[in-house]
Amino acid sequence: MTSASHASVRLSLTIWAWLAGLVLLGVILSELAILPLPHSGVIAVVAGLSTVKAGLVALYYMHLKGDRRLLVFVALVPFLLIALALSVVFSSAFVRL
Amino acid sequence: MWVFLASEVMFFTGLIGAYVVLRMSHPAWPGSEGHLNVWIGACNTLVLICSSTTIVLALAASERRDLSAVRTWLLLTAALGSVFLVVKGFEYAAKFSHHIVPSTNVFWSCYFALTAFHALHVLGGIVFNLVVLAYTGRPAWWASRGRRLELAGLYWHFVDIVWIFLFPMLYLF
Repeated sequence: MTSASHASVRLSLTIWAWLAGLVLLGVILSELAILPLPHSGVIAVVAGLSTVKAGLVALYYMHLKGDRRLLVFVALVPFLLIALALSVVFSSAFVRL
Repeated sequence: MWVFLASEVMFFTGLIGAYVVLRMSHPAWPGSEGHLNVWIGACNTLVLICSSTTIVLALAASERRDLSAVRTWLLLTAALGSVFLVVKGFEYAAKFSHHIVPSTNVFWSCYFALTAFHALHVLGGIVFNLVVLAYTGRPAWWASRGRRLELAGLYWHFVDIVWIFLFPMLYLF
């Protein structure tokens, strides 16, 4: 195994350890209620952890970190469209209230 | 593949968006009919995360032209995906035995719809991985079609990312 390949495997295993740790952290924060936050605050923290995990998979396992900008654009456009759609849904809900 | 994945992102985010809207309008969630076992869900999440790592290791082995290692890691990826589906099958069976079905209430409708669509994608990913595994049978096949391992990996990671969001939404919130 070359040193570059060895480093790549080591990075993959490091990311795996982070992902596993973040899963367990999310479960512990949610189930044991150790954060002095209301339920909505805990949801926000756990949702943030999920976003970090998804980001780690996308950046390091899907290699978006070193990929062309066009691919990053293609991957991000659906998220932007959905964020726009959700903001319309929620803004209309608030207007009704 | 990236355009296909973009369409898949929109498909799942549409479903997840509908779930969020329904969740916010129902304070009693999932209702008194039953609950999901968080630790089973967490273990299944770890299984999928492990499978994402094994397919990355298959790709690393492919770059070293080590076909034997590619075979091993791909088989392990497919096996872990199968474990995920088997666990999900046991969860479904447990709910059905307690007469919890998609029509029980809106939470269980969402749960079965989201997890069934995701499970179908996992099944598709397993088949894709096994097809790529078959290419390792002959060096000539691998030379002409080995690049599909990268596509299989992208798809598998996408399936993993979807579950990373589904797990907390369905099991923790």
